[in-house]
Amino acid sequence: MATAAAYVARRRRTQGAGLDRVLPYLLLAPTLLLVLAVVVYPIVYGVRQSFLNFRFGHAVGSVGFDNYRQLFHDPAFGQALWVTLKFVALAVTVETVLGLGLALLVAGALPFTRVARLVLVVPMIVTPIVVGIVFRLIYASDVGLLTTLRKDIFGGGPVFILDKGWSAFLGLVALDVWEWTPLMFLILLAGIQSLPVEPFEAARVDGAGGWRIFVDQTLPMLRSVLAVAIALRTIDAFTTFDQVFVLTKGGPGTSTQLISIYGYNTSFKFAEFGYGTAMLLAVALVVLALAALAVRLIRREARQ
Amino acid sequence: MTPTDERALTRKQFVKTAVGAAVAGSALAGAARAATYRTAATARAAKGKVVIGAFVDGGLVPFKDKIIPLFQRETGIKVEFLQDDYSTFFEKAFQDGVTKAGQFDVYVMDDPWIPQYASAPVLQNLSKLGFQPDSDYMKPFLDLGWWPPKQGPRLPQFKSATPQLYALPFVGDMQSLTYRKDAFGHAPKTWAELVTVARAKMKPPQTYGYVFRGVKGNSIVASWFPVFRSQGGKIFDNNWKVIWNNAAGKRATEFFVHTLKSIAPPGVVEYDSDQEGAAILGGKALSIVQYSGNAIKSDDPKQSKEVGKLDFGTVPRGPGGSIAQIGIFISGISVSAPNQANAVAFQKWFVTRKAQIALARAGSLPVKRSAFLDPVATKHNRLQKAILAQLNAGAEARPRTPDWAKVEDILGTELNKALGAGTVGGHLDSAASQVTAFLKKNGYYK
Amino acid sequence: MRRWLGAAVLLLVVVIVLVPIAFMVGTSFKSNAEITQDLHLWPHTWTFANYSRLFRDSYFAQYFRNSFVVCGASVLVSLVCGSLAAYSLARFRLLAGLEKRLGFGILTVRILPPVVIVVPLFLVALKFHLLNSWLGLILVYSAFNVSFVVWMMESFFREIPLDLEEASMVDGSSRMTAFRRIVLPLAAPGLVATAIFAVIVTYNEFLVALVLTSSPGSQTVPVGASTLITRIDIDWGAMSAAGTLAAVPIVVFALIVQRHLVRGLTLGAVK
Repeated sequence: MATAAAYVARRRRTQGAGLDRVLPYLLLAPTLLLVLAVVVYPIVYGVRQSFLNFRFGHAVGSVGFDNYRQLFHDPAFGQALWVTLKFVALAVTVETVLGLGLALLVAGALPFTRVARLVLVVPMIVTPIVVGIVFRLIYASDVGLLTTLRKDIFGGGPVFILDKGWSAFLGLVALDVWEWTPLMFLILLAGIQSLPVEPFEAARVDGAGGWRIFVDQTLPMLRSVLAVAIALRTIDAFTTFDQVFVLTKGGPGTSTQLISIYGYNTSFKFAEFGYGTAMLLAVALVVLALAALAVRLIRREARQ
Repeated sequence: MTPTDERALTRKQFVKTAVGAAVAGSALAGAARAATYRTAATARAAKGKVVIGAFVDGGLVPFKDKIIPLFQRETGIKVEFLQDDYSTFFEKAFQDGVTKAGQFDVYVMDDPWIPQYASAPVLQNLSKLGFQPDSDYMKPFLDLGWWPPKQGPRLPQFKSATPQLYALPFVGDMQSLTYRKDAFGHAPKTWAELVTVARAKMKPPQTYGYVFRGVKGNSIVASWFPVFRSQGGKIFDNNWKVIWNNAAGKRATEFFVHTLKSIAPPGVVEYDSDQEGAAILGGKALSIVQYSGNAIKSDDPKQSKEVGKLDFGTVPRGPGGSIAQIGIFISGISVSAPNQANAVAFQKWFVTRKAQIALARAGSLPVKRSAFLDPVATKHNRLQKAILAQLNAGAEARPRTPDWAKVEDILGTELNKALGAGTVGGHLDSAASQVTAFLKKNGYYK
Repeated sequence: MRRWLGAAVLLLVVVIVLVPIAFMVGTSFKSNAEITQDLHLWPHTWTFANYSRLFRDSYFAQYFRNSFVVCGASVLVSLVCGSLAAYSLARFRLLAGLEKRLGFGILTVRILPPVVIVVPLFLVALKFHLLNSWLGLILVYSAFNVSFVVWMMESFFREIPLDLEEASMVDGSSRMTAFRRIVLPLAAPGLVATAIFAVIVTYNEFLVALVLTSSPGSQTVPVGASTLITRIDIDWGAMSAAGTLAAVPIVVFALIVQRHLVRGLTLGAVK
């Protein structure tokens, strides 16, 4: 506490006078200008747009909150929301479980861990568009990897993934798991490696088994890291776009039509800019709430 | 991480950052240079270029390879030909016109875009620019360039407006039947005949009787359309009331999602134009109703495994007749064309007899009758005869409404679900109620 | 025993990660006839035809140039602007306690789905004649990145003890000199981690580039690759070649700098 007070006092001292007084604002200016021009202004513009009705590409009048109200009556939006929630919940859960399992495994210093860490970075930094291409090549029933494997190994016929709603949806989840489990893994691994060793040794001396140690010691101590990781992934998963755009464009039917895709189509394909913007702004609000939560968690984590 | 470790890293990384900064710095300088270069280029362009935007399609390859160079040689105007994927270009070109961004002079479009593009409008009124279409045009193609449409139902807002010409046919494309001579002997006259013969001759898993596109949206609707119409279904009545789900419509659709699916390769639900094309050219399917872009490859040994075995015919008859879908490429001048004069020059040149015959001889389908009948072109391209026959038998464009994209999306999604299930079920009704609600909201009717 | 079981699992994971990518790379070296008819994991006859077709028929060389310029310039701009702003937030007291709130405020920019603002962005870019230009993309990406730079660098600057700067200032150097000579070098690892993340995100960005550019003179690699995935006439060979080419620069980059990746990718949650 005392150091904090001293810090503030010293900070005040170094604040200086004259030109130094405006210096902090000068330093901030370029950043604020950029953000205002490129982000804040468009958002304000978008909010205004979300209260307008568009026909044939032009605004034809103000409709108040109708665009927002319509969200509750539009079955396609309901469906997109449902698909998105299912997608986020399933993908993030699987990624967390797999990531945690892997991290616990690797924390025990295995052979070729270094190589594995190197390789695992690849999926998450590869361009999302390319990830979409990779998975189209995997799922294509005529030339794809799955069909090829089945033919080479078992001599079987083609494998169909993208022709049925449920399998296409799971195919999309698999893509996300492939792409993002490594991130979960890396965060959790760092978390595990920073844990103190004493409690574990104490527990082991007390004769606790592996599972008990995991539930009683590891999980509680990892809680905040886990929360951070899950929050980060949830935010990202909510706005997944590029991969779906390349893989299925939302089909078959509406089985992989996430809100981001439906919103994009509403604005650009059907030229209903007002409704499309209203939809995406509503989603953005949800994401922002999640983000605020995540930031709080990150700050707490960083302080520890 | 220990402090020493960190310090060591710092030094190493510092070098890297410095190098990176140098690279980025020179890049920034490059950007500035490019910006000035760009303005200079725009100024110079005032004299000699025309920017044509289009979507990527096999049907435009002859135009790109042969006609653009010809135009440049003859007029000295440079062509900048920009392509995007189908739906991206549809969205981008519309945005461009609505916001008057001036990125394109000429849009090359799919014909169902015209109602939306002309009612915005993002296209210039060609009648006012002095375009007077002559009688050499194929009339069903030319009709598609007018807004509001000369025939058929109109939107309430455009009830009394006089039709104006907004676009001119660019490449005449429509569907026809491609079938295997060794299996069918001659072109099947009716759908019943097609199914019977196909069933007898197919040998799964090597060959299947019929193939089509099953992917949702535009694709499945294009494949469903000729079957549905020939089998006696109708999409809208004269007052935009949805009637695709009446008894005849359901029967016709059931034939598509059930009977035809049963003789199609498994996985047809995920087939798009590339897979259907590969199936007929690769010997996996015995028949198909398809656009000319793929049909034209039948005799090319580089692209087809069945050279000499494929022949063309008209869409089989059903209770509704023999009806193919017209889907022509059509071009118009953007309201914000930066090179207006050159755009007009291009449009005028492109429909001259000479350009049209060159287009036909390059292997594309022209839009004028004289070019269609050019003996040199027909010798190389026997598909032209089949297309003419189909035009006489029956050919129809998609309904003329600016909301077609939305209608097609809803209909295509439900059709795709029905195809997956193998039966119509409640899907046509569901599509009908969604579309009806949408049309009501937008004032088509109460 | 447990060790080797673990190693086996790890090996399996590595295989699952690599095989799809290997398949794409393999496919890119097959002829289209081999792709559709033979169905093998690895090419029998290697061909560069897909690549040469890619460079002949499309504008891939140009896409790369655009991507490198846009990426390099916007990361540089955002690092410079962002570091200054972060320093201001970390070291000064601003009006109304702004230094505590601004950081998160700016970060929200990063989190908003770009699809929300692409339409307005398009219109703004149009107004200032920034469509189809490097400059337009550079400005947009700089703004996206700067938010993240501020967030990251603020915490790095806070970790650096004040004494060092003060000592230098007592010796007569100005605040900015102290910043340049003392603070920046100490924060270099943070700067590097931040820059790496910014490079990856910028290189990979798709939607904004898709909407703001429509000519090969300014389209970036992801947009170019997606143009190839056309609705009609899918060319698997060219598609895999495009995917492979698009991925190469960023993978090589990431492998070189991989030790510093994690902190950036996790928004600084992991050190």
